[in-house]
Amino acid sequence: MAEKKYSGVRESKPGRLNDLGDNSKKIEEDFKKGCLKRADRSFSQGLQCQQINSMAALMSLEDAVFVSHSPQGCVGCTIMAVDMYRVGQAHRGIKNIKNPRIIVTNLDQKSVVFGGEQKLKQSVKKAVERYNPKLIFIFASCASGIIGDDIDAIAGELQEEYEDAIIVPIHCEGFKSKICASGFDAAFLSINKYILKGEKQPKEKGLVNLFAPTTVSYADQLEMERMLELIGVKVNYIPFYSSLEKIRQIPKAEASTSICKVFADEFMKTLWEDYEIPYSHTVMPIGIRNTDKWYRGIAKVLGKEKEVEEIIAKEHERIEPLVKKIRDRLEGKRVFICGGTGRSFAAAALIDDFGMKLVGLETPTYDDDAQVDIEYLNGIHKDFVVDIANMQPFEQVNLVNKLKPDAFIGIPEWTARFGIPTTHVLDGKRPTMGYDGLLYLGNKIADQLENPGFNKKLSKHVKLPYKESWYEEDAFKYIV
Amino acid sequence: MSQILENPRGGCVLAGINSVLAAIDRVCPIFHSGPGCCMQTSAAEQGQSGHKSSCFVSSVSIPSSNMLEKEVVFGGLDKLRTTIQGSVDIIDADAYFVLTGCTAGIIGDDIASVTEEFQAKGVSVYPIDTPGFAGDSTLGYEVVWNTMIDKVIEENVPHDDKLVNIFGIVPYHDPFWSGSLEEIDRILSKLGLKVNTFFTKHQNIEDVRKCSGAALNIIINPWLFKGPAKKFEEKFGVPSIRIAGNPIGSTDTTDFVRKVADALNLDKALVDKVIAEEEDYVYSYLGQAIGVLSWKRFAVVADATNAIGITRYLANDYSFTPVLVVISEPVYREEDKQRIIERITNLEYARPPKVVFTADQFEINDTILSEEEDITLLIGSTNEKEVGLEKGIQFITAAFPMNERLVFNRTYTGYRGSLTFTEDLYDNL
Repeated sequence: MAEKKYSGVRESKPGRLNDLGDNSKKIEEDFKKGCLKRADRSFSQGLQCQQINSMAALMSLEDAVFVSHSPQGCVGCTIMAVDMYRVGQAHRGIKNIKNPRIIVTNLDQKSVVFGGEQKLKQSVKKAVERYNPKLIFIFASCASGIIGDDIDAIAGELQEEYEDAIIVPIHCEGFKSKICASGFDAAFLSINKYILKGEKQPKEKGLVNLFAPTTVSYADQLEMERMLELIGVKVNYIPFYSSLEKIRQIPKAEASTSICKVFADEFMKTLWEDYEIPYSHTVMPIGIRNTDKWYRGIAKVLGKEKEVEEIIAKEHERIEPLVKKIRDRLEGKRVFICGGTGRSFAAAALIDDFGMKLVGLETPTYDDDAQVDIEYLNGIHKDFVVDIANMQPFEQVNLVNKLKPDAFIGIPEWTARFGIPTTHVLDGKRPTMGYDGLLYLGNKIADQLENPGFNKKLSKHVKLPYKESWYEEDAFKYIV
Repeated sequence: MSQILENPRGGCVLAGINSVLAAIDRVCPIFHSGPGCCMQTSAAEQGQSGHKSSCFVSSVSIPSSNMLEKEVVFGGLDKLRTTIQGSVDIIDADAYFVLTGCTAGIIGDDIASVTEEFQAKGVSVYPIDTPGFAGDSTLGYEVVWNTMIDKVIEENVPHDDKLVNIFGIVPYHDPFWSGSLEEIDRILSKLGLKVNTFFTKHQNIEDVRKCSGAALNIIINPWLFKGPAKKFEEKFGVPSIRIAGNPIGSTDTTDFVRKVADALNLDKALVDKVIAEEEDYVYSYLGQAIGVLSWKRFAVVADATNAIGITRYLANDYSFTPVLVVISEPVYREEDKQRIIERITNLEYARPPKVVFTADQFEINDTILSEEEDITLLIGSTNEKEVGLEKGIQFITAAFPMNERLVFNRTYTGYRGSLTFTEDLYDNL
């Protein structure tokens, strides 16, 4: 096996593209012919960096301290994961809600000139003295990367000094990738290297690793666990709301699956290579089709194909009359979807359950996985616009303004000011997934469409920051 | 000179600069930085300030050069040039400010050379070359105003003896900034003044340009804005007065009004009339709910200006007992520390509380948990909820960062704000 080790940078995979805008049919054909080229934008808006994802993925782990080797600004986005952690504790019935322990080394001018090694060492020392944690994660930043602090070597030294905590450096320097999901991979690479260390363990029958990112609500966790328990699975829910003990269970599992398409997908491959744990990598379980597909995927790995079909039939019997009611309210409505890699495609499949028509879709990256989804969607919807963009709301508002959809699924702020009903598919505090999540989400979309008063009135008073002339331009004019 | 901090409050200097600019209407920041800085810095300030963020551009709608490995190695000025051009083409702003992240700062990209090209074409674009690692977000407030004084505010603006500029209330870094500025504006307007808050009532870059015509700069903060105030006076001849702490309640607000009136030589009869009306307004409400709140021994954890305001109101005007005050922002100058301590401990009747300076969450929690005297009310940021729950005492979120309430125009400042604060203290226990 002379295969080059995966670096954690998603762009390093051949055939994966970031910046493109075109018609869905053309993209499908061009990708098939290998004609899609990696591009760039000469003008763009801010991205989500990979460090944000590395930190978010781990921030709810018990007995852990998170050391950000960076200036103070690089922990800004932890507030999202921190909020999820706090709310998640409340949902789980915990009364004394805790903060995660985040220590920032606060690199400054002096560190930029002389290096930040001392600050990192002091920070880890504080982490140990204050909390005696089982895990200490060290997150790299653009600054620490460019000034050349060797966090691996420093972590190695510190590990010798502090034997009770496992010290895990993570290479999530923002400038290394345009794809924020790289940050998930960076975190998992380090978990494997520093915690699991390739050591095989006896398998535990029925134990399944269920990888969940920070944006999965407790209601969704319960629904996923309910479904998996129906096919005799004992769930190891990681890394969200879990612990070192649960991470150590990973190699014992009989199989792995993930809730999100770009979360732990690379890691599950590694788990197969290093620990012979088979896995199912399908779709996000949002909507009937995708939930079925996700469910069948993991059942197949476990040899439970027959059982799962019986359960799916029963679930359909229960759910379909309820979905029909929502379908009656949504049939034929035109929708634009903007929700990140996994959720965009999942939402696109979901709208098919409700008989809605797709007019536009944003996804941060395009690759073999996306091609499978696009082929499926092209089979249902005649043709729609695809914007391959990490965020870039200026392009999406341009498209939405031209396409005039009946509904927008994505970040409400971007299009509410057009007066269009908006629903977010990423609601980490409420249900979205599985058969039950579908009803919640469907009713949410239908209710917004029925009662769009807020957005309609808002649009008369509050404008987006773009010039009128921008809406006349080609949405993809800055892709070069 | 930045300290290692646990659960830091707010972001880097770039975060501060970004959020201050975000509060000026129709101003567009442009980031010359790594790919995550727009989102990180917006989340660090606007994202932790009562869920309100700029209506114009914030987070991932901010233009950015998103410097990747290529720009780190070869320099990012070409990317910056096309990013500025795109911003000017599509964002309908009155002014653009180019800000630098650590990436641009460390590799030393000369952003002014690019902004000059656009200035030559008549575009209002200004460089602020202060990368993230240069400090924290409160420094960002001063950096913005230093830039304004150096590059934006015009000289020889006609003098207006009724115009005043308000400084020291930091947008987003104080979750109640909007409401506070509105209350200050309301009170000063009653005195016949015209008020530049810069961040409310759609004030924009033009108000900034012309603010050198003011008669007085009023700094409402015990330590911030020392450098810019001096520079402002030297360049434009506008003197300043410092109100050392957010005025909350009748006593401190009246004191604030008198200081402004003295500095501007306002008509005494009018000033007395306004004070009488406002105090009557407050006390006619307080008179309707006497003894409704149970007596409390309290601790405050907040930035200096709000810690002073909260402590003085509760101790001087509401007869609660101050026990402990933690100043949860880094304060470096000894003279500033002394001024803050003096304001908190020099109370009318109440005995002085203990004052501790630390911005580190572990030390803050430790200070509260190891306090030997009884505390029955804790006023702090969302970060202190944990220690409040642990102690099992009443807890109110009243300082940055603030995550569990939505804040539009709520404020505890001034005459009216003190009533809101008192309402929020009601616990029915």
